[in-house]
Amino acid sequence: MGTRIGVIGAGFAGTTHARACRDIEGAQVVAVAAATRAEAAPLASECDARVVDSAAELAAAPDVDLVVVASPTYLHAEHAVAAARSGKHVFCEKPLARTLEQGQAIVEACESAGVALAVGHVVRFFPEYRRAHDLIHAGAIGRPAVATLTRGSFSVAAVRPWYGDDAKSGGVLLDLMVHDLDTLRWWFGEPTRVHARRVAAGGLDYALATIRFGEGLIAHVEASWAEHAGFRTGFEVCGDAGMLVHDSRASAPLVVQAPDGGSGPAVMPATAAHESPYGTQMRDLIGRLGRGESPRVGGREGLATLSLAFAVDESVRRGEPVTWSAPP
Amino acid sequence: MVSAALTSPLRVGIVSWAHVHAPGLAASIASLPHARLSGIHDEDAERGRAAAGERGVPWYAELPALFERSDAVVIASTNARRRAYVEAAAAAGLHVLTEKPLATTLADGRAMVEVCRTAGVQLGSAFPVRSSAAMQSLREAIRSGSIGEVRAARGTNPGQYPRSWFGDPREAGGGAVMDHVVHLADALRWLLDDEIQTVYAELGSLMHDLEVEDCGIATLGFRRGVFASIDCSWSRPQTYPTWGGVTLHVVADRATVDVDVFRQTLTHFDDQRSRVRSVAWGEDLTKLMVGDFVDAVREGCPVPISGEDGLRALEVAIASYRSAELGRTVRIAEL
Repeated sequence: MGTRIGVIGAGFAGTTHARACRDIEGAQVVAVAAATRAEAAPLASECDARVVDSAAELAAAPDVDLVVVASPTYLHAEHAVAAARSGKHVFCEKPLARTLEQGQAIVEACESAGVALAVGHVVRFFPEYRRAHDLIHAGAIGRPAVATLTRGSFSVAAVRPWYGDDAKSGGVLLDLMVHDLDTLRWWFGEPTRVHARRVAAGGLDYALATIRFGEGLIAHVEASWAEHAGFRTGFEVCGDAGMLVHDSRASAPLVVQAPDGGSGPAVMPATAAHESPYGTQMRDLIGRLGRGESPRVGGREGLATLSLAFAVDESVRRGEPVTWSAPP
Repeated sequence: MVSAALTSPLRVGIVSWAHVHAPGLAASIASLPHARLSGIHDEDAERGRAAAGERGVPWYAELPALFERSDAVVIASTNARRRAYVEAAAAAGLHVLTEKPLATTLADGRAMVEVCRTAGVQLGSAFPVRSSAAMQSLREAIRSGSIGEVRAARGTNPGQYPRSWFGDPREAGGGAVMDHVVHLADALRWLLDDEIQTVYAELGSLMHDLEVEDCGIATLGFRRGVFASIDCSWSRPQTYPTWGGVTLHVVADRATVDVDVFRQTLTHFDDQRSRVRSVAWGEDLTKLMVGDFVDAVREGCPVPISGEDGLRALEVAIASYRSAELGRTVRIAEL
């Protein structure tokens, strides 16, 4: 029997993950829950799945093996813990939770239930970031010395207001910068000191952090919800024997323009690869669950990255550097 | 402090050929219609004589001889030697344009500003980034209010390790911070029309096995609340197609703006030398900057980028070192 998936949340993340399951052999989305049945219905219909009244009902559904938690961040803990207690494996969208305590509760609930917990740090499945990881670890740039990682999008809060409520989303730090904080840990190990500034005013949210690794690597991270031209990512990693550079704006293999000002989907499907990184992430997880292996990015990893994001937040609030070590 | 307007070309001498920018400064002076390269003095006689000979201008073994035949001088020495040259030029009644950073210590920098003020000569700082048409457009947009209130910025001024004396703490007073933090610190003050209040910096000697730092990220806080970072690292590899660059990403209430000062390049794939190079075709910012200095001196107006501007930028460099040493945010006022 394949993996039967229930999706909680039908927004950006829920839709993306549900679609990512479509092309995976042996995986099937069987149920979708959202804040209301009406919100869940279009995605359920697209996936040939049924609409479930509530997240709690989905978490308890007997025909679900894996629950994808893609609700707003502040609800992750409630939904993930309910799923774990019902004996379901959990895939939780990043950030793991809105608070460290909530994150800890998710990890402990999954561990004591003996279910798998995967955290959606999808950047670890992006091919450009994987290639950079492999090159850095193969010594292609020598010893890493200074790195800058940037990530930006238009103001998602303008489209989905809950993102603009810090109490619900954690803003640009928890929602966006968390990707590059996780990437830094994945590429370079655990940092020791964090300094950051952030401005969240008048609809924009923007932050800069400097992350130090002992007396070695200096990393700089930019997260912006003020990229009005659309989503973009970039990095440069400089070592004592070379440098790697990525700019998403310079690596689009297909660019379409149309006279009406529209572009992309209206004229042609936008496709940069045969499988999206979200598809790779879900295929990897379902394969591992089938083989009884641990997820590639597990709960403890998600919790450590969340802890680093809170160190950034603390530096913003205190206006001073904060020392950090990974939680035990 | 401002002299009467000149009708003849301004005679500009170059003092010291130590700085990598000396040839560019000489070429700029020589190309300006209202300036003339009056001669070169260098503490390294052989180097100075060769530089003068190549340009067909007089070589002066003694400073007074150059000063006698000049209205102004450009100081292209190492950072540590700039104070002595500026004091000598001011004593001779000459206007001065200095390479950056102004000096290696705040005491030297303050003394240089003071000696020029007392002597009634103008002291200019060489910050060519202000001459970029893109930067000037951004400044206009900020001043007109068209992009709304600026909230934050991320600046980069990385480069290849310049070698020579740039990694020698006795001549340079530091490393990448001294060399590169000052350009964007000055540009940001000028763009925002605001003063820097705090500095936090992470520095490291991580790439070139130097006594001085070769990597650094400094984060500046301005009086009106804007924050901005500057990557000043000597992080560009030997195979990089150019020396480095200057960029600024500005986040404002009604627009997000990217400036890449040296983006106007051709890419030259060169089989004859087995390399790929970026070849700049944009405006010569050094020439524009020197031209503005020369015009101001000739017209008897204050030079556009003053010694005080140089001192403000130096404060940011010194505060970066202090921050790295103390592991905390440093206020400019406590320096």
